[in-house]
Amino acid sequence: MSERIAVTIVVNGERRMFEVPAGRRLLDLLRVDAGLTGTKEGCGAGECGACTVLLDGLPVTSCLVLAASCDGKEVVTVEGLSGHGGRLHPFQDALVVHGGVQCGFCTPGIAVAGAAALARGFQDGEQAARLMSGNLCRCTGYDKVLAALEFARENEHGSE
Amino acid sequence: MDLPVRRIVRPGSLPEALAVLAGKPGARALAGGTDLVVQLRDGRRSADTLVDLGRLEFTSIAMHGNLLEIGAAATMDDVARHSSVRRMAPSLADAAAKVGAWPIQCRATLGGNLANASPAADTAPPLLIAGASVRVAGIAGERTIPLDAFFRGPGATALHPDELIVSILVPPPPSGPIVERFVKVGPRREQIIATVSFAGRAEIASDGRLHGVRVALGAVAPTPRRARGVEACVEGRKPDAELRREAAIAVQDDIAPIDDVRASAGYRRIAAAVLVDRFLRSAEEDRRE
Repeated sequence: MSERIAVTIVVNGERRMFEVPAGRRLLDLLRVDAGLTGTKEGCGAGECGACTVLLDGLPVTSCLVLAASCDGKEVVTVEGLSGHGGRLHPFQDALVVHGGVQCGFCTPGIAVAGAAALARGFQDGEQAARLMSGNLCRCTGYDKVLAALEFARENEHGSE
Repeated sequence: MDLPVRRIVRPGSLPEALAVLAGKPGARALAGGTDLVVQLRDGRRSADTLVDLGRLEFTSIAMHGNLLEIGAAATMDDVARHSSVRRMAPSLADAAAKVGAWPIQCRATLGGNLANASPAADTAPPLLIAGASVRVAGIAGERTIPLDAFFRGPGATALHPDELIVSILVPPPPSGPIVERFVKVGPRREQIIATVSFAGRAEIASDGRLHGVRVALGAVAPTPRRARGVEACVEGRKPDAELRREAAIAVQDDIAPIDDVRASAGYRRIAAAVLVDRFLRSAEEDRRE
């Protein structure tokens, strides 16, 4: 029988307390305990990137992170990417404009990874592709996703 | 799906962590979890109690005199970008940037990559050619294990069950001109486990001869290992076509590859020969530059 453990995590800017089984993954805490089903489970082995979230500002595959390890940390999911008034993150806007979504299952992870890539910064398409290489898409492909990322970066610079 | 573990503890100090590991058979240390979580999920490893090392914050990367000390919990993302790592062990920085993909690199730790002891561990060949050691702590005290005595077999290390890796110590590279390379062979660049990996370093003398030759390979034996036959073959010689041919043959006695899901033993033998050949070619190119 698994013991339960209390964890306090700032989820999308809101400090929340959870009591979960010792072996609970961050992915399941988000989907089951926090009710945030935007984050998807694909492979469950850290290979597809569908479950990517930000942990203290850096992208991680939430299927490989234990909820208990996140005590005292900050998590941002796809639900938390948008700004005030429900405005989409510039990369989410760019995904819409460039048609970077088809079935959409990988999109939450791609949106989060792209936001992280913009925050990290990249010099060229090669570096951008490398930052996004942990996210698999089986329908749209990657050209439109990378075009959206470049578009978001250019607009970011344009608005500075 | 919850992982099949009964308990998870998050010790706030090293002595506390060591006490839990020593007191509980079935306790297992958890760092980034990028290997262990998958193994627990698939039943390839088991743990009654997980000892999450996150609060120990062994993440610093710093020079101590001419020695580089990398905290066991430094992530691949930290290692790949740190200026001291790039200067002291460029092939290690290169290898860290090729572990999984970026979200894995933000979580996977250098200590975890070694403790997991995969024959294909990306950071092992670069650390082997750097002559790195592993600083470990246990209830009985600290000790330092040379990396080439650390790996004992697939998933097996010289660590006692109640010991933890604290840091990795990297001695300085030779001061003169050197050639150093890391190569990872696989079906794509990211998100793969190496089919064969290679790290090489040599000093290039003004007459073009190579000295202090160090070569290590991964995924071609039960552990990542130095290729001592190649090293002896190349030492003090010029990397011409004749030497390249001899070295590609010499490496065959340094390795003991098997057939597995990623490649056949035969493919690995050919790849090892090609990587040795390429390294020697790059030594020749680097000298001309």
